[in-house]
Amino acid sequence: MKAFGGYHPAVTFTYFISVLLTAMFVWNPVIQLTALLGGIMFSLMLVRKKAILSDMGFYISLFLLVAVTNPLFSHNGVTPLFFMNGNPVTLEAVIYGIFISVMVVGVLFWCKCYNEIMTEDKFLYLFGRIIPKMSLVLSMALRFVPMFKRQMKNVSRAQKAMGLYSQKSYVDRLRGGIRVFTAMISWSLENSMELSSSMRARGYGLHGRTNFSLFKFGARDAAVLLSGLLLFVVVMIGVGSGSVDFTFYPELGKISLSLKSLITYISFFILSFLPFFIEVKENLKWKYYISKI
Amino acid sequence: MEILHIENLNFRYPKAEKDTLHNVSLNIGQGDFTVICGATGCGKTTLLKLIKNELSPAGEKSGEILYNGKNIDSLRLRESACAIGFVGQNPDNQIVTDKVWHELSFGLENLGVPQNVIRRRVGEMASYFGIQDWFRKKTDELSGGQKQLLNLASVMVMQPKVLILDEPTSQLDPIAAADFIATLKKLNTEFGITVLLVEHRLEDVFPIADKVLLMENGCVLLYDSPRVVGKNLKKINPEHPMLKGLPSAVRLYNLLSSDEVCPLTVKEGQEFFRRNFKRNIDFSDGDKSEFSDKSDAAIELKNVWFRYERDLPDVLRGVNLKAVRGEIFCILGGNGTGKTTTLNVISGLNKPYRGKIKIDGKKIKDYKGNSLYRKKLAYLPQNPQTVFLKDTVSGDLEEMLKAMEYKKEEREEKIRDISEKLGITDLLTKHPYDLSGGEQQKCALAKMLLSEPTILLLDEPTKGLDAFSKSSLLAVLKKLKSDGITVVMVTHDVEFAAVGADRCALFFDGEIISSDAPNSFFAENNFYTTAANRIARPLCPTAITSEEAALCCRGNGEDNG
Repeated sequence: MKAFGGYHPAVTFTYFISVLLTAMFVWNPVIQLTALLGGIMFSLMLVRKKAILSDMGFYISLFLLVAVTNPLFSHNGVTPLFFMNGNPVTLEAVIYGIFISVMVVGVLFWCKCYNEIMTEDKFLYLFGRIIPKMSLVLSMALRFVPMFKRQMKNVSRAQKAMGLYSQKSYVDRLRGGIRVFTAMISWSLENSMELSSSMRARGYGLHGRTNFSLFKFGARDAAVLLSGLLLFVVVMIGVGSGSVDFTFYPELGKISLSLKSLITYISFFILSFLPFFIEVKENLKWKYYISKI
Repeated sequence: MEILHIENLNFRYPKAEKDTLHNVSLNIGQGDFTVICGATGCGKTTLLKLIKNELSPAGEKSGEILYNGKNIDSLRLRESACAIGFVGQNPDNQIVTDKVWHELSFGLENLGVPQNVIRRRVGEMASYFGIQDWFRKKTDELSGGQKQLLNLASVMVMQPKVLILDEPTSQLDPIAAADFIATLKKLNTEFGITVLLVEHRLEDVFPIADKVLLMENGCVLLYDSPRVVGKNLKKINPEHPMLKGLPSAVRLYNLLSSDEVCPLTVKEGQEFFRRNFKRNIDFSDGDKSEFSDKSDAAIELKNVWFRYERDLPDVLRGVNLKAVRGEIFCILGGNGTGKTTTLNVISGLNKPYRGKIKIDGKKIKDYKGNSLYRKKLAYLPQNPQTVFLKDTVSGDLEEMLKAMEYKKEEREEKIRDISEKLGITDLLTKHPYDLSGGEQQKCALAKMLLSEPTILLLDEPTKGLDAFSKSSLLAVLKKLKSDGITVVMVTHDVEFAAVGADRCALFFDGEIISSDAPNSFFAENNFYTTAANRIARPLCPTAITSEEAALCCRGNGEDNG
């Protein structure tokens, strides 16, 4: 059950953009940690537990790699911890390394969630509205590619069964592949004739084409969109005012705990946990319904 | 009231020597279900395309086509796009978009219909056609039958008054085809939609048509009710090639030259048969068949198991098959039972994980490299287009011979021989894609035969062919057989198997469950059998063709077992 995925594409797209923008460009440990945790929690709701476990290995090693690489190569900072080959390994560089890892892994988690939620049809729908022809062309391409692949496979098999597609050497294979591919081009052209008559027969090319989609923008979409935007604006004001600025070099700064910065942290926390809350709420609702039945 | 009026229509393609359509005049009434038939190249498709303004081919046109009294050229584009719907032959090539719901809405989007109206009309149409279960699917995941139904539905959503269809069932299996025809009939009776259907599988459509239009060389030969057409065609020309394409009941009627009312359905055919029946003849060949399991095997499969991937279910579950040298062996069966996979396994394209395959007594594994495909085995796939890679037919034939390492003079001679044998000499300079289905089939076969096989595998060779092309294919196969070639084919076409095969086998659920010579084979089946057999069955269970049924009625036929 992907409750968040059920929202209008405009809502989910705006949401992801605001979180990703913040996560990538606001250099503050609290914000980054929040983003990482929010991303992990959200993806836990989306992906099967097993898949998460198998991915974890990758994320942890990436985390370590990035975290360790930085202090080995960067010797900025004023607090040396120890010396390696005569070079100081500084506290600042270690912290900075960890910080970068948190950011990279956090962004990766969010991208993963983005992929799960923003399926290609949603993307098409959103950008098709800006360029109407584009959405049709993309949709046709998505239709055509699997057909082309299937036919290409059939042709190669037919050629193989005639003994004309020998697979002895790479050169042979390449030559066979090129032969099949050129034949596929005439096949595509031939196909497109029938396709274009089917399109014309259904009035393609008349003036005033509309775009139909299955998505509806309802009150709950508006609510989530507005609250998301509001939170994002608050975060951005906080960032703009400098209340969450943080420095790593030459010396680690202090995490600001002023009222302004607290408001910014809390807003971003709510923003990045929003889909998680929605998923949890929906899950509880279902449990409740089921127990009622 | 007439909805389409065609007067003295002549049409000639640019640079053509003669008219494709000549003096065609027709009145098609509102709500008529008209079936248009005729041999390939008789101009039926051109006629359809001229009626659908947007698809009119370029060429010289004279005469008039009126829709509701208005000349079709003067119709506004919007009006003509809506009023006349068109469904073509290939289910795949007509689908524009990647999602079913998008395809349904495509026409309405073009017309600029607002969102909420589209939503409603699409919903309505999906409910009527029973599409709701696959409404959100990708169009690529649908079966052929579903695709064609989607094409019909996405035309119907524009609320046409006239539906024109160009061989819509030719690429479908018999069950999907019958479903499609039934849907058409339903649209016709429930909404009074005028239907013009070009079709060569007449068994299903003849009984439900109001009118049949039989064309020949661009002219109208007959235009009347099916019963009258069934009766009169033979009077016009007793040797007319279309006679072979008529439904079994009509053929039986024609063979007996009776003066009764012409029967159309199997039920009427049974009654007609009963009235004219003289004596029972046993056509079954019993053990007399020259090809039995004891003869020398060209192909032998023993307990063959196959699946595409480790986690997928088995497609072949212990297939045992023996094709005897020099016979025509037909594998029949429904969709998705594993027939094509069996051919793939025999041709070495797929490797079974259990079981033995022997080709000409030698294990398939022992054929190294391409040796299996040289002078041994050839496999003509379902879509003959996949065989051609060059711009001309002769180029493709040439290529095969080069692979066989023949010298230039030898090549020319071989090409000449094979094209004479298959009657494709006129087609050699053409582009393979410009040929009709039957011609493509023959040219592809020619390419196969140049590898000089002793075993020929065919996958659905009669798909999309009209009666004439089928009988010429049959003639070719018989010729090959007399040359000693073993033919193994997979088909849905029981009628073709009944006349062509030496032995038939029924494939079901991944294995062969019965096999026998055709007369005994179909006599044993109660449902999976030819229409002629269903007509004759109550009185003469072993008659499987109209000709055999006619013999029972003449009563003087000698007992040809």
